[in-house]
Amino acid sequence: MDEQKRPAVDEKEIIEGCLRGNPVSSRAMVDAYGKLVMAVALNVVGNREDAEDVCQETFIQVFRHLDRYDPVRNFRTWLLTIVYRRSLDMIKKKRRFSEFTARARFEPAVAERGGNPHSADPEPLPSALLTKLSPRERTALCLWANEGYTARDISEVLDCSASTARVYLFNARRKIKALLENDHGLLQNG
Amino acid sequence: MAFCRMVDIIYAALPLRPLRAFLIRSHMESCPRCQSRLLSRAEAGKLFVSSDDVGMPANLWGRVTTQAGRGTPIPEAPLVQPAGAGWRWAAAVSTAAVVAVTGFWLLREIDRQSFDPGSIRAANRFQLDYVNVGGAPAQTFVYQPQGTDTVFVWAIKNP
Repeated sequence: MDEQKRPAVDEKEIIEGCLRGNPVSSRAMVDAYGKLVMAVALNVVGNREDAEDVCQETFIQVFRHLDRYDPVRNFRTWLLTIVYRRSLDMIKKKRRFSEFTARARFEPAVAERGGNPHSADPEPLPSALLTKLSPRERTALCLWANEGYTARDISEVLDCSASTARVYLFNARRKIKALLENDHGLLQNG
Repeated sequence: MAFCRMVDIIYAALPLRPLRAFLIRSHMESCPRCQSRLLSRAEAGKLFVSSDDVGMPANLWGRVTTQAGRGTPIPEAPLVQPAGAGWRWAAAVSTAAVVAVTGFWLLREIDRQSFDPGSIRAANRFQLDYVNVGGAPAQTFVYQPQGTDTVFVWAIKNP
């Protein structure tokens, strides 16, 4: 993992403070890891509104279940595992919601609110990342590119073997490279 | 070159993850030609949003504390571990048993002369007093398709 990207915070102290129920430590954790959680959530779910919800749910789960955190493990990896799972839940929820609206045939003006086409996301992800990669591949590629994670680190987040994580990462890198070489338009934002 | 092509064909033809991982480890990760067909870390980094580029979610701390229902989150119930294969099977068998028993009971009830389907219509029993989303009153739509006994409730978080 890329050590340079670690925040300059005393992780252990913050965790211990949170476990004691110290609100200052809880606040410090949100401040220290908020951007990281938001970036990963945004890269996986693809829009800011959902990513903010994922962010909120992630921290709630972290605070509620911090006593389950094993200090032997890397805290960032544990945190990103929760972000990944919450993001997958959000994607599934959205998919079910889309199917529901398609079946129920609501008024378009109402249905669009759930589909989030007008989100105020200033920098949407390139559409190919969302359409050509599965959430697992996207997460693997994002963690590898942004966090410097290895296949083994990614496997902890995705809850799979290192071999499987290696395959996800390889497939993602190859697909996007092929798109870059063949059609630059597919990697335009939005 | 020919070997790379053969590896590619095997990789594409056999979608077995252990085999693919082996091919990646044994050849593709060390072959310059295969590597040139992969996205580099720098290229990938330009496509994703990094934590330096993204702003903090608006009022994240406030949302977290509101949702958690307290100013000082305290660890409480243990985290539910992902179910293993054994538990999944047990859950599936239990669900199937419940569905079978319920179905059997319903069929028996329907066969009876005195059974009145109207008496258990879900729509007739449906009542909704108030909907909160994220701790605040939500915009709520109740929708019942004509001629059905199904009621959909759609709640939207107020901005």
